[in-house]
Amino acid sequence: MIETDVLIVGAGPAGSIAAKHAAMGGAKVIIIEKKSEIGAPKRCAEGISDNGMKFLGIDIDPRWALKEIEGIRLIAPDGTDVWLNDEIELPEAGYVVERKVFDKYMAMDAGRAGAEIKIKTLAKSVRKEGNSYVVLCESMGELFEIKAKILIGADGPESHIGRWAGLKSGTKAKDMESGAQFEMANVQMENNSVLEFYFGKVAPGGYAWIFPKGRDIANVGLAVIAKDTDKTAYEHLVDFVANCPATQNAIPVELNIGGDPVGGVVKEIYGDNIMIVGDAAGQVNPLTGGGIISGMIAGMFAGETAADAIKNGDYSAKVLSKYADRFDDHYGEKMDKYIKSRHYLASLSDDELDSIAHAFQDVEFEEVSTTELIKNLIKVSPKALLKLGKLI
Amino acid sequence: MIVKDWCMYCGECAGVCPRNLIEVKESSLVFKDDECRECDTCVIVCPVNALEKK
Repeated sequence: MIETDVLIVGAGPAGSIAAKHAAMGGAKVIIIEKKSEIGAPKRCAEGISDNGMKFLGIDIDPRWALKEIEGIRLIAPDGTDVWLNDEIELPEAGYVVERKVFDKYMAMDAGRAGAEIKIKTLAKSVRKEGNSYVVLCESMGELFEIKAKILIGADGPESHIGRWAGLKSGTKAKDMESGAQFEMANVQMENNSVLEFYFGKVAPGGYAWIFPKGRDIANVGLAVIAKDTDKTAYEHLVDFVANCPATQNAIPVELNIGGDPVGGVVKEIYGDNIMIVGDAAGQVNPLTGGGIISGMIAGMFAGETAADAIKNGDYSAKVLSKYADRFDDHYGEKMDKYIKSRHYLASLSDDELDSIAHAFQDVEFEEVSTTELIKNLIKVSPKALLKLGKLI
Repeated sequence: MIVKDWCMYCGECAGVCPRNLIEVKESSLVFKDDECRECDTCVIVCPVNALEKK
């Protein structure tokens, strides 16, 4: 049996940065990754925020940062658009990255910090053994066990680790967005330095997006809540591409699909000898579905907490709760706000979305007060304002 | 559960399975059919309609 201080399941950005910080803190760290290539296939639109990367202490690298983003364009069902520039706080504005390179880069950083990476290695089961967890692994037909003082589950939206360990960490279908996305060339955006978001029936329960990746290349995708529609995410995507002006001559070169947990942080993200991070913990912005930065910040906190716990020889839930406290201090209030905003958006009809877009179409957001915005909304859609009032 | 050829092994089905019965490998899905209560949650959420009940 292999023994280690910290075992991390999943080499996405959250797992890799947890490994890096645990190793930098002096712990012996192993990461296992079930796929043969870290970062592929991607399951996201690849947006990261500049502020998030600064907080993580990671310099932007042109090897993975493909396109700097200068703003956001919100498009209502009738085509009315609202432009937001980078002078106001935009949660996902920063860069569109190439995940196939970005994720490997983060894993390499973890390796350079001293973490051992076992590729193409699947976690099959977990059992508690004294003051450790033992994970049964499978790699290239071979079964073996790894015993760890601290186990970190960074195993994505399909997470098993937390639930195997008895944490209340499941995601209900109503909180899991089904996503489908093409990477496309020959996409004709009005401005290829902004993120585009399309709302309404085009993506029931979610929204559609176009994230530029430089030149005429973009991720064109959408996410839906399955219970809100009779069609699959893929079928909605095909319809969207057929009807969106920007994609009339676009050429798909890649199809991505996957789930995105948008219900907020799951009930339990730590216990004795265990933490879960990233999508596995629901650490995703419930409004935008973006989870790279929030997952990485959680990963950094978890890695640092693990290293301290190993140093002090105490891996109890009480010690590991510091990770959850730090994440809550950093994100708790924002998460609540984003969940409310998501519910608000989901409650609006296409007509109400159009009315809101009309109210905000020519507003200079950085110069206008909240009161003036509300006055505009009262004029065009009192019903939409009433729904907003009920949520606040 | 029948897994169609076009399944992309994204794992969304595994994420919402209330009984945690679906193992997602790089290019296969393994269902613990004997413990399944046929809630259909996995079938409903699949982004490409790749799952069908036997």
